[in-house]
Amino acid sequence: MAVDTTTYVPAPSRTSAYLDWLQMLTGAGLILFMWSHMILVASVIPTPRLMNAIAHFLEATYMAQVGGPIIACTFLLHFVLAARKVPFRVEQQSTIWKLSRQLRHTDTYLWLIQAVTAMVILIMGCIHMWTVLTDLPITAAKSAARIQGGFWLVFYLILLPMVELHVGIGFYRIAVKWGFARRKDRKSFKKLETYLTAIFVAIGLMALVRFLTLSV
Amino acid sequence: MGRRLKFNIFRYNPQDPDSVPHTDTFYLAETESMTLFIALTDIREEQDSSLQFDFCCRAGICGACAMMINGRPNLACKTLTKDLPDEITLMPLPIFKLIGDLSVDTGTWFREMNEKVESWVHTSKSFDPSADEERMDDAVAEEIYELERCIECGCCVAACGTANMRRDFVGAVAMNRIARFMLDPRDQRTEAEYFEIIGTDEGIFGCMGLLGCEDVCPKHLPLQDQLGILRRKMGWSAVKELFRFGK
Ligand code: HEM
Ligand code: SF4
Ligand code: SF4
Ligand code: FES
Repeated sequence: MAVDTTTYVPAPSRTSAYLDWLQMLTGAGLILFMWSHMILVASVIPTPRLMNAIAHFLEATYMAQVGGPIIACTFLLHFVLAARKVPFRVEQQSTIWKLSRQLRHTDTYLWLIQAVTAMVILIMGCIHMWTVLTDLPITAAKSAARIQGGFWLVFYLILLPMVELHVGIGFYRIAVKWGFARRKDRKSFKKLETYLTAIFVAIGLMALVRFLTLSV
Repeated sequence: MGRRLKFNIFRYNPQDPDSVPHTDTFYLAETESMTLFIALTDIREEQDSSLQFDFCCRAGICGACAMMINGRPNLACKTLTKDLPDEITLMPLPIFKLIGDLSVDTGTWFREMNEKVESWVHTSKSFDPSADEERMDDAVAEEIYELERCIECGCCVAACGTANMRRDFVGAVAMNRIARFMLDPRDQRTEAEYFEIIGTDEGIFGCMGLLGCEDVCPKHLPLQDQLGILRRKMGWSAVKELFRFGK
């Protein structure tokens, strides 16, 4: 219920536009980061020596020490920006769930998945970043030891699909919202999104198996 | 043919203090090329004369008959029962003011929307009724016409997650309307003026790209494309301002 009880007119402002840009750019930046991140993790599949070499390069050039916290800040900024859109009020929550169920509409469901995975990533991503960045240098042996402990295996088995779903849907959503994907491209973009998500989950799983079977 | 259709229809009359929202069930024998308009009229004539619903043109032109048909907004007059399962659930459109049963008041909402986006050609030229009509390029006229086809049925608003969660959101129909005037060479509004109307979180930057609007619009307006174009235009417009010092 909105009742206009005043002649007060808010000053025109460009804030919404800037925040939307930032939300998109931080999202796109994080997508690029996740793809690079996958290169690092997947490099253990051919040989752990390759992963160690990449990790060493990242530290020798201070990319891990400086880049890590920058990514963490981007991550938090993205969360704050995107959270403007998350239905935190109970009434909004029940509205959007009811509507999605009623409509049986894939894109509305995809958005719900994005909002739910976001909350999981927020918590698990922070834990993961803290663990890795407070225990530099990154080596294949240390990662393997963690994963073989069992706890981190389960942790990553949850985090991996959550991140890839969020990244895949985010990729599609940026394309649609900013008009990169037009009506005629929508189907193929959605397919691309599905393939990307599936491929990245597959690579991630392969890397996990490799860590599990690595002798430490 | 020969199906027996089961209709679950939402009933509530806000005018009647004794009325409680509930669902009534009706059965009807399906006939050849039966539309929901025919079915509802039949139910009203044969079974319950108090049933309220809106129809006008019965040809998908006026937009009066939009309702939630098995959960999706669509025009009842152009929905054939043969495309639906045996059980059909009809609800009024959400967001709009309920008049009674399946009838909602879309008019007030659309009037306010049109006032908000100032849905008319803004020009300083005075109209000369005796002069020849101003010429317009064919291609531009076609483009404008494509967006002008909106029948204000409200389906896109009803299907929009954002509009359902946030009542201040103007909806795809308003963005489409603005896009139409941006195309019109007769409208002298500047980009900054358009930005003031639509470059907000109630406007284009509130849209989350769920594309419910695109997928339900019974007239297949290019809403996805227009939303994308508008977001980019308004986005760039804000960025350009950022680099214009001491204007
Ligand atoms: C702190 C954890 C995160 C939260 C709470 C979060 C939340 C969200 C939400 C709610 C949206 C939807 C916004 C909308 O529809 O307008 C979104 C979009 C997006 N997210 Fe995240 N996210 C998080 C982490 C990430 C990460 C780690 C990535 C990439 C690796 C990412 C990439 C994206 C992208 C690309 C979009 C689309 C941006 C847009 O539509 O403008 N997010 N995020
Ligand atoms: S844009 Fe389409 S769905 Fe929306 S009011 Fe116009 S005709 Fe109806
Ligand atoms: S794209 Fe989605 S959020 Fe945007 S107007 Fe359409 S239904 Fe609403
Ligand atoms: S009665 Fe006019 S559109 Fe259905």
